Parts: sequence; C-alpha cells; structure tokens
Amino acid sequence: MRSLLVVCGLVLGLGPGPAVAQDRDVRRELAARGAPSAFIGPVGMLVDRARLEGLPAAPLADKALEGWAKRVPPDRVAGALEQMRMRLVEARAIAVQAGVTDPPGVMVAAGAEALGRGLGADEIGTLIRSARTPEQGAIGLQVAASLAAQGLARNAAVAAVRHAYERDGGQDLFELPSALADLSGQGVSMADVAQRIMRGGGLPIPPMAGRGSGRPGNVPPGPGGRAGPKSGRRR
Amino acid sequence: MNDDAWTNDAQRFLDGDGDPPADADERARAGRFAAEVAMYAADLDVPSADLDARVLAAVRARAARRAWWRWFVRPHRLVIRPALAAAAAVVLVVLSAGVARMIGPGAPPVPAPSASGSDGVLVRFEFVAPAAHRVSLAGSFNGWNDSTLTFSHGTQAGVWTVTVALPPGEYQYLFVVDGERWIPDPTAHAQVKDEFGQTNSLLVVGPRGVVRS
Repeated sequence: MRSLLVVCGLVLGLGPGPAVAQDRDVRRELAARGAPSAFIGPVGMLVDRARLEGLPAAPLADKALEGWAKRVPPDRVAGALEQMRMRLVEARAIAVQAGVTDPPGVMVAAGAEALGRGLGADEIGTLIRSARTPEQGAIGLQVAASLAAQGLARNAAVAAVRHAYERDGGQDLFELPSALADLSGQGVSMADVAQRIMRGGGLPIPPMAGRGSGRPGNVPPGPGGRAGPKSGRRR
Repeated sequence: MNDDAWTNDAQRFLDGDGDPPADADERARAGRFAAEVAMYAADLDVPSADLDARVLAAVRARAARRAWWRWFVRPHRLVIRPALAAAAAVVLVVLSAGVARMIGPGAPPVPAPSASGSDGVLVRFEFVAPAAHRVSLAGSFNGWNDSTLTFSHGTQAGVWTVTVALPPGEYQYLFVVDGERWIPDPTAHAQVKDEFGQTNSLLVVGPRGVVRS
C-alpha cells in the first residue's frame, strides 16, 4: 500500500498533469491543432503586439484559429490579423471619443466588427453614446452590424438599436435580427422596414419570439424542413 | 533597616518555617505583611483541576506534529511492487489526460456549445447533402474546430441535422462536408466576409430563439 501511495505522489508531483487555468494562449491552441511554427510564429507576434497595446486579443486569436482551420496561407492570415488590429485601434479611439474613457474589450471588439461591416465612426459613436452601459453598447454595436449585414440600411439599423435601447432597456437587442428575418420572410422589403423604423416604429419582435410566448426559444425548428429559405424557421 | 528588609527570624516565619520574631515591631510588621499576602492570594483565580492534563495534551500534540514532519525529512527505504505501481501510474496518467483535455489549450474560446444540451438556446442546423459521408459544424462557438459538432442523418434521406445549445449572441459558422468543403448555411441571417476572401454565415441567437430568413 505504501508503494502505491508513493507512486501516486510521484506521478502527481512530477508528471505533466493537467494544464492550470490561464490566459488564453493562441500559440498553444494552434499547436494543439497541429499548426506548424511557420504559422504560429507570425500570428503569435501579432497577438502579442495587440495585447501590449491594450487591445482585446480574443478576436485576433479567434481569427487565427479560423484561418488555420480553413487552411489559409500564413501570410494571408497575418494580413487579416493586421487589418483587424488596426480596426481595433480605430474602434477604441471612437469609443474614447464617445466618452468611454476606458472602453472594455467587448466594446472595442464589437466596434471593430462594426467597422468591418461598413458602419461609420459617427454611427458607432452614436450607438455607444446612446447605450446605458458599455456592455449594452457592445451588444448594440454587434446587433446593428448584423442588421446591416442582413441588408438593412445603416441609418435604419442604428435607429432600430437605439429604439430597442429605449423600448425595454435593450433586453430584446439580440432578438432584432430574428425580427428582421421574420419581416423579410413575410415579404416586407428592406426599404419598407427601414421606413417604418425611421418613422419611430422600431423593429417589432415577432409574436413567437415575444413576451408571453412561453419558451419557444428552446424549441428547435420542427422536422421536415430543408436547407433553403425559411427551412430553419422556428414553428 | 528599610521596609523591605527582614531579619532571618522574620524571613523563616514568613516562609512558614519558624516561630514569630521575638522583636515586637518586627513581629507586627511580619504579621501585617502575612495578612496582605493572604488577602492577595484570596483574589487569585484558582487553576482548574484539569490544567495538568491540558498542558500535557498540548505538549504531546506538538511532539506528534514534529514527528510527522521528521518522517518527511528522514531518509526511507522504498519498496515498490512493479505491477501495482504500474497500474497506479496508468490510472493517474489517464485521469490527468482526461482533465487536461477538458480545461487545456484545446478548449473552445467561447462558452462551449453542447449538441442537444440544456444550457443556452437550442438551435437546430440542417443541411441537405445526399452525397456527403460526413458533415460537421465549425464556427466561432467552437473555435472553428470541425471535429466537435458532427451532424447526424435526419429523418429524410440526404438531410443532415445537429441541434446545438448556444448562449444568446452573434455567431459565424460554416458547414464542413467530408472534412474538406466549407459551405455557408443558406438559412443564416446573413453571409459576411471572413477576411480571407470567402464568406461566413452569420446567425444571431436571441434569448427566445431564432427566426431564420
């Protein structure tokens, strides 16, 4: 029995053991996925540089993992990361200019994503200033960028988010893209949706995703659908 | 003679070893002193009856702690039964690797989705690919790992489905067919540039679910 205890102690004390919780290390994550040093080196340096500049490193790490998973050439990944880093710098400056002296990483990352999807500095600043908290501002930026990607005019996307801020304190922000998809599925044009929003109507939350409808969100779409328009629509 | 000095006779008397001093003043002074001592003694707390036992127990405990420490610093002769030791080592290495896989560097960078799990909003992904041998889901929710969320055959031929529990938020993803082809989801909310010259599908999951286009 004593020998068993001693061996247990040796293995626990000297063996590799489980990794302890630590800051995210993109080099280790890429190495664990089998990326070579020729890929990991430049990517790691870019992420380190961003970290030293006080920028959120997570979006860059995510993009590096995405690039490796898709087998994108290292120089192309490095180029994309550098572009993202510059957008992060710009987004942080916009947030500071909008009155957030020390913008949280989530806000900077969301602002950079919004810039990448075509939102302007003035629109991003407006969304940040209108939010009640930096966290709400980050979600507002994400949602506005998503609405714009869905085809809604940028000014209407910003107005829809600001309307949601005021309507219910921003609780329904993440519902807005589904609301827009619902209207689009009913055949309402994006121009008509934008017009309604700019008149102050906001985006109506569809009944199935609205309050008092139980918890339909936890019910996956019914069987029988096929990939294509409306196939994944919740029933 | 000062007030604190005593004759030998008085000292013996105060120690309880002799008769009172012959000198009347000395006797009176010793008597007053003895009375004062008796008065002070009356005010003192009498130690509890188990004082001795408690002191001895504390001494023994301290000695035991020292003995425990000495066991570690003293050299010991080690006897190992190879079979038993090997079995213990294997068990510990397997356990260690399992824990490392759960919390190590391969862990997804965002709240991990779980296929058909109970945390978050259940979102079903569906894809028609009759000729595919394997379809998986890779995206920002699983670190773009194409081996963690695998589709299974739906009720209809050629239809692949997977249901994933996702916390509310915005996600980019693609379907991966046979580990090679990365294909957008036509039912996503939008298709966005992926910075590498291709597109990703975009889906925003609300607290109450998803309505797709």
